[in-house]
Amino acid sequence: MNNQLLEKYHLNTCTAEERKMVEEWLFNTDVDGLDTVSLPENKNDIKQAMWRDIETVMPEVIKPLPKRSSIYFMWKGAIAASVFIAMAATIAYFVFANRSIGQADLVELNNPSARYVKHIDATGYDVAVGPNTIAKINNNDGMIDLTGSMLISPKKDINLVFEGTSKKVTLLKGQTYIILKNKTGVKSIIVISERNLMDLPPVMQKQLSAQFDI
Amino acid sequence: MNSNSIIKLFFYVILVFCLLSCKQENSINEKDAKYSLYILAKDGREYMLTSNTLDSGMLKPETDGAYLDPKDMDRDVFVKNGFFYHLNRKTNRFSKFKLEDWKLVTTGFLDIKDFSIENFNWIGKDSLMLTGLNLSGYNHSKYIFINTVKMEVIAQGDMEIPAPFGHYTTLSIGFAEKKGDALLVGYTYHTAHGVSSYLTSDTLYVSELSYPQMKLLRTQKDMRSTYPGGINTIQSYNFKDDRGDYYFQSCPGIALGNHPDLPTGIFKIKANEKKIDQDYFFNISASKIQNHAYGMWYLGGNKAIIRSERKDLFKGLGDHYSTAHFEFYILDLLTQSVTKLNLPLDKGTRRECVIVEGDIAYISVNSTKSGNYIWLYNIKTGELKKGLQLGGDTDFIMRIDRLKD
Repeated sequence: MNNQLLEKYHLNTCTAEERKMVEEWLFNTDVDGLDTVSLPENKNDIKQAMWRDIETVMPEVIKPLPKRSSIYFMWKGAIAASVFIAMAATIAYFVFANRSIGQADLVELNNPSARYVKHIDATGYDVAVGPNTIAKINNNDGMIDLTGSMLISPKKDINLVFEGTSKKVTLLKGQTYIILKNKTGVKSIIVISERNLMDLPPVMQKQLSAQFDI
Repeated sequence: MNSNSIIKLFFYVILVFCLLSCKQENSINEKDAKYSLYILAKDGREYMLTSNTLDSGMLKPETDGAYLDPKDMDRDVFVKNGFFYHLNRKTNRFSKFKLEDWKLVTTGFLDIKDFSIENFNWIGKDSLMLTGLNLSGYNHSKYIFINTVKMEVIAQGDMEIPAPFGHYTTLSIGFAEKKGDALLVGYTYHTAHGVSSYLTSDTLYVSELSYPQMKLLRTQKDMRSTYPGGINTIQSYNFKDDRGDYYFQSCPGIALGNHPDLPTGIFKIKANEKKIDQDYFFNISASKIQNHAYGMWYLGGNKAIIRSERKDLFKGLGDHYSTAHFEFYILDLLTQSVTKLNLPLDKGTRRECVIVEGDIAYISVNSTKSGNYIWLYNIKTGELKKGLQLGGDTDFIMRIDRLKD
């Protein structure tokens, strides 16, 4: 079998005899045993020849990296440590600074306006404070002192206790609550999920949806 | 593959087939289902469920229901002939929906500007009348006629209902009932102080308007109670009986009228009249119920069912909806006798919770202690038994509706 014949076969220019020969060769599944005896003698020559061939198609040889000195490793360690410390310090700064500013023990949510709702994005919750509302929330013990109305969406579950009463409520993350309190006493406190808005008297419901745009 | 893994594989194959076949069965049910149930789950999510029967079985909203996007849907949705109708108060869009593959799909809509529905009435198979107020102040009465096949406005305009006067700031329309060439509209006035306090007039009004021109013909005042009816997209407060007599209740309790010193009562407008019957007043608060009530459904004959609160069990508006304190009573409208139903205490201030079919009244009850069930009340025998259970995450069955008549 030779290359010319195979090429002719693929170009479809063989004679019938040649075609038969090629096909016999192609479809023959018998494999001659490999002549492994002659190999070891020329092994090194073959290897050399192979490497020479390979070198012609290989990209330029990459020079080995110079050996790093121990000073280099010392600096590398020092820089990594500095970066790590700087990052840790930054994270710590934001975590603790936020706590001391955004999560101050006492958050005042006052809205002296007689008409407009005031929106506040606090660390633990989003709040819309209704007109003429005075409110304080103690983030430590969840104590809330409120006169007026607010719409609150906690970013995590929070517990609130109404100052001067034993009324406790748990507000769930992801839900929006309407909190109303006008007079003193537990009876005047209303804490209701926005989904239960329609349980409130329609007159209040209409006022609330107009005020808070819900 | 050893025998263990063959058994495992076999188990998984069976499981997958089961799941597929369950889903298949439900989807058939969904299309032809007779009833829909609106559920508020414990996590605040809402679902629409359908069922072919309310007599037995168990449904879980989180696995058997269609999740409802709170931006598009709320429980002031009403149902007719397989379709759901809802006005989105934020987008002003009045939409018609149907359930398809566990989703509410919009099949038509129209925009209604500056309108808040107080009452809906079907005046024909495909003709809907909405009566309501202006969203911008709730002090101006409006109406709109809609063709619900084309979802087009047939006519709209103002109803000649006297605007709030004196110190009154808003009004509430509690019912609209067509009587021949007239429309009877029941309403009352309020003084609103901010978001958390308001007062209601001690008088209820029924105006007779020409129909469909909506011009004022005459107005009748009644001081026996106040706050007639209520918003009927959320709950029913009136009905016409077999003889054509019209009954409506008043709701002066804190959950609606907030004039609790006046009694909850039932008024009557006789079939051939356009005025409140001055000789008829069913004083619910003075009966053995001894409380205010909100919500009333007709059972046939002289019988109706009313849902009343228990003032000894709630503290105020803050826990009125979350505490189980509601009771159901059977009323005889003629003899004015009252019979308590032996049901668990129910929670939820306002709910569309009764469907009547023949001799059976299906009553949905949200009990804190014994779960959420549809109860079957046999009107003839008085027998009560538990039917379909709403399990899983169910917190409130907010409404039950007949999907198809």
